[in-house]
Amino acid sequence: MTTLGWIFMTFSLTLVWVGTFLCFKKVLETPADEKAPPGFGP
Amino acid sequence: MSENKEEWGSKLGVILAVAGSAVGLGNFLRFPGQAAANGGGAFLIPYFCALFLLGLPIGWAEWTMGKYGGKKGLHGAPMVLGAIGRGRLARYLGVLGVLIPLGVSTYYVFIETWTFAYFLKYLSGGIGIDATADIATQTAQSGSFYSLITGVDGDGLLFTGDSKFTVLSWIFVFTVNIFFVFRGLSKGIEKFVSFAMPIMAVCALIVLIRVLTLGTPDPTMPDQNVINGLGYMWNPDFSKLGNFQTWLAAAGQIFFSLSVGFGVIINYASYMKAKDDVALSGLTASATNELFEVGFGGMITLTAAFVFLGVSGTAGAVATGSFGLGFNTLPVVFAQMGAFENVIGAIWFFMLWLAAITSSLSMYAPATAHLKEATNWSHGKSTTVIAIIGTIGAVLTLWFTAGGSFWSTVDFWVGTYLIFVLAMVQIIYFGWVFGIERGWKELHQGASIQVPVVFKVIMKYIAPAYLIIVFVGFTVQNFKSSLEASWSNTGARAGMLTIAAILVYLVVVTYVGEKRLRAAGVDIDDNNPAD
Repeated sequence: MTTLGWIFMTFSLTLVWVGTFLCFKKVLETPADEKAPPGFGP
Repeated sequence: MSENKEEWGSKLGVILAVAGSAVGLGNFLRFPGQAAANGGGAFLIPYFCALFLLGLPIGWAEWTMGKYGGKKGLHGAPMVLGAIGRGRLARYLGVLGVLIPLGVSTYYVFIETWTFAYFLKYLSGGIGIDATADIATQTAQSGSFYSLITGVDGDGLLFTGDSKFTVLSWIFVFTVNIFFVFRGLSKGIEKFVSFAMPIMAVCALIVLIRVLTLGTPDPTMPDQNVINGLGYMWNPDFSKLGNFQTWLAAAGQIFFSLSVGFGVIINYASYMKAKDDVALSGLTASATNELFEVGFGGMITLTAAFVFLGVSGTAGAVATGSFGLGFNTLPVVFAQMGAFENVIGAIWFFMLWLAAITSSLSMYAPATAHLKEATNWSHGKSTTVIAIIGTIGAVLTLWFTAGGSFWSTVDFWVGTYLIFVLAMVQIIYFGWVFGIERGWKELHQGASIQVPVVFKVIMKYIAPAYLIIVFVGFTVQNFKSSLEASWSNTGARAGMLTIAAILVYLVVVTYVGEKRLRAAGVDIDDNNPAD
């Protein structure tokens, strides 16, 4: 594995792992939904 | 509108459902092959460009259009696009948003069945590879099992001998799909993905850890180690960036991976509440897909293949395509893992099955919603009709297996070509007819994040232009040969006729729905905007 290979891999993995973590953190931080109304599905 | 009102139970539910729809076999099998063949780490440059210029903006547009349609009580892609595009042309172009998922479902559940059949075989002792034999023999043994499960050697083979195992597996897999679709959004699909997605992540993590700890399994071949395996995938070859094909491949990968232009996001987003956050939901679903694709797919598949098969073996596996890599080569790789063979094989194929079923579940929902909306039938009745259509399509797929010509024909025209068409239609209607300012406002209604304003320009100008270039490039490269291949044998012709039949059915249902909704006084042409 070349140095550039390490750089590309590290950058890409950091982007997707940190990006996903921050997104879910933000989703979970926002206030909870109201309870869904009855009558779903069949 | 149907009186059986459906909605998501939670904001996380819709995100996981869309992410589940996006994460599929392509994340683990197609992406690494595409990257290795198109510059390794350097492929990630056009790949991330396509993500920011195509995937995210078109995805946001679809989430926004879906939510807007939902505000007006519309859920099927034809009616939603009819409202966005304000008229019949948009509405009938929106038929593609149902044709694509329903058409793809006919063969996707078949491929999903392979993963389940492999999983069961690994649970019950493996697929018959003799690890003491030489690699060529093992590859032949793996190929025999692949032929047995897929029936690729001839039409009708799956209904004979040991291949009946595939048909039985299909019955189970299809029943599970219809069961969860029948239960509805929150009690069915949402509940399933809420369990399936975390389990899939855990399975991927287990396989990843196993692969990264393989070290140098054969001391006589010190070059075949994990670090070099990662290098095979990630070492950049910048010369590939000068090739248009690399950029086309990156755009195609982003496109198919994120499920944009597929008709599912519009339908799923239409069940969100008016104050729900589509900006963050869209971003999170895309990020989750990227995690599975780059974070797992990019680390597992080729690294494992390289460690046991070396440079030439891995290159040969990549050349066989996603299915060759996933169903033929990887079982040979697992066979070299000694005591872990069946455990890792079972976990891997169970993970692929979860990836596939969370995608296939999303393919029936748009067609069910479309039929309910058009006819005002109950959820159960509509699901039953869609299940019957799905069964007919599946029987054709299960019968015409020779060379995979039936499903590869449907895959090319519906699962590849029409996706480009629908995405172009959507982004043009969104940016130019619905209006980018209006769309921007709608996107941010209830949003907890501010999308950078540059995306306005991307959505209106760059994404459509990028798409048109990619579409033209793709057409030039594939259209003529694919058209010829699509009528070259019985299976391919059956595939084309199946597409035509589904299209006619959908146009008729749309016509019926248009008349019914108009008569009911529903504002399907958006004469009175809901924003």
